[in-house]
Amino acid sequence: MTGAQAMIKCLEAEGVTRVFGYPGVAIAPFYEGLYNSDIEHVLVRQEQNAGHAASGYARMSRKTAVCVVTSGPGATNLITALATAYADSIPLVAISGQVSSKQLGRDVFQEADMRGATRSFVKYSFLVKDPDDIPRAFKEAFYIASTGRKGPVLIDIPMDVQSATLKKQFVYPEQVLIRGYKPEIKINRIQLRKVANLLNQSERPLICAGGGVILSNGEEIIREFCEKFNIPLVHTMMGMGVMPKRHPLNFGMLGNNGKPYANKAVGKADLLVVVGARIADRTIPKPENLTRRSVIHIDIDTAEIGKNMGPTIPLVGDLREVFSLLLNEEISVKSSKWADELEVVKHETVDTREFSDRFVNPNTLVQTLSEKLDDDAIYVADVGQNQLWSADNYVMKEGRFLTTGGMGTMGYSIPAAIGAMMACPGRQTVAVTGDGAFQMSMSELATMKANDVKLKVIIMKNDNLGLVREYQHSLYDGHYMGVGLGDWPRYDKVAEAYGMSYYECDSNDDIDDKLDTLLSDPEAGLLVCRVDEENRVK
Amino acid sequence: MKGIFSVLVENRDGVLSAVSGLFARRGFNIDTLAVGETDDHEISSMTITSTGDQRTIDQIEKQLNKNVDVIKVRRLTEARSVCLEMILTKVSYSATTRSSLIETCQMCGAKIIKAAPKYMLLEFHADPEAVEDFIQLVRPYGIIEIQRTGTIAMEK
Repeated sequence: MTGAQAMIKCLEAEGVTRVFGYPGVAIAPFYEGLYNSDIEHVLVRQEQNAGHAASGYARMSRKTAVCVVTSGPGATNLITALATAYADSIPLVAISGQVSSKQLGRDVFQEADMRGATRSFVKYSFLVKDPDDIPRAFKEAFYIASTGRKGPVLIDIPMDVQSATLKKQFVYPEQVLIRGYKPEIKINRIQLRKVANLLNQSERPLICAGGGVILSNGEEIIREFCEKFNIPLVHTMMGMGVMPKRHPLNFGMLGNNGKPYANKAVGKADLLVVVGARIADRTIPKPENLTRRSVIHIDIDTAEIGKNMGPTIPLVGDLREVFSLLLNEEISVKSSKWADELEVVKHETVDTREFSDRFVNPNTLVQTLSEKLDDDAIYVADVGQNQLWSADNYVMKEGRFLTTGGMGTMGYSIPAAIGAMMACPGRQTVAVTGDGAFQMSMSELATMKANDVKLKVIIMKNDNLGLVREYQHSLYDGHYMGVGLGDWPRYDKVAEAYGMSYYECDSNDDIDDKLDTLLSDPEAGLLVCRVDEENRVK
Repeated sequence: MKGIFSVLVENRDGVLSAVSGLFARRGFNIDTLAVGETDDHEISSMTITSTGDQRTIDQIEKQLNKNVDVIKVRRLTEARSVCLEMILTKVSYSATTRSSLIETCQMCGAKIIKAAPKYMLLEFHADPEAVEDFIQLVRPYGIIEIQRTGTIAMEK
């Protein structure tokens, strides 16, 4: 058995049925292995998008996804996607071909030191120099990616190792033994009791749910907990969907770009329970202000606790396990009127932002889209104003909201949506993007077509890099520099080139009709909504 | 404050760079770093000393623990552990300063490994503070070259 055949066997043992990739010489032996296997290969148009597509696939299948690239530029192109997955804790196994092991370090054609280059963007990396190490490396890679705080793992394999014959018989290990990695954390019962006590003393407790809740499949149990004890909840951008938007205990997204009433709720709370969130700067810009109240920080990653803020009580563990234990604790929240108080705050908070009545109001667009989408629709938001308008206005029901909250990588939405649709065929999926972000990955529309994925893409087009423009407006007296995209490309031609139905919407009056037509179109479709460049997020 | 970490790591290529890279990436200081194999060839031991506020020192411990190749992290205190550092140094001398340099070495317990016509090669090991003192003492003679191992430490 060759190394490449062993790699395929490992993927099969992990239940992998599909990989996203882009071949090259240094990974060619593996592709020969793929040729003889049942694993489907999705050819992307640029390696970064193999990573993003795998990210969308992993998030929707809730399993580790695989991307494959060749050495050198193929591998370095992938790095941005690895950094994105790392920031958002998405479980990926990335396989990169490498130059022959005898040539390592000699700067030969298409050699890049991938272990070195990705060190701060992956949970772990392997450079496999012996084909007999392949089974162990794969087993460990999948284990590390999918346990504890999830994240990407890189396996770099020189081409001669892929071609070489295994000396030992192939055995896929059943168990993993890594001395320095013990992700199973026994929950500290004393800390758990302290959490329950603090909740009992609290009159205005507030849960702040982050992406970790979704990553640990903890949505249901958090809802159950909030409902049982009548505790209101706010969430981060990555935590959208932990609770439906219209749930009476959901007080919206907090942070710089969140709802003012969500931030007021944080201000009024006497106890903040941060769950699966890392107290990031966009969510809580001044963590030192929080220390005036009690903070419980629950996370799977010990290092997140105390990184940006010293909590009153830290609790490390798997969220689902923590909350199933907490549900059995004697907890009675003192103030039964706290959620009602917040409801008043919510209604008293007036949105004073003004929006242009020229063209399409992005808020109306997202709100109308929300009403029309299926309850379990997948909404993939890109990065920029489109993302913030989406997060602000999308009425989440039982679907998913996929975006890159941590790294903020433009161009994420189209490849991620393709991956998401492949994981959940038949589930309604829209990618909402800006004209800047769209152009970063529009080449993937070919991947979409070639794989018969019928994605709906909605572009908020304002001919600008809107969020940077907004920043220059606020901080640099409107000295707009390098943000004008111009009225290019011709989107009707792009749609035609990629075999998509094409729609345009220039006014609020047309939103309804255009969305109906787009969503009922059996084919892939592109809807370009013109948005006034003067519209701002804040 | 000072943080002294005794860290057991997998003895593999790339591990030292991963650990030092962690300090660089997060803006932690490395004051000293000493690495060597343990009695088990598969495991290396590192002693890392660092300075920072309480939160930084806590974070260093947590981030080290998070590294897959790190097997065990122990945080040591100067009071409850033995800390030693060794130096090799070439110190110049003249006919007039020769005897006082020898006296200084005897007083501190430094070993004269080689006496060349113009310099002496000295070896000295002690706790890090005494090493600093010794360097101050010999500095006036003229230090030509100095090599320090960095602190190694062990819990008492």
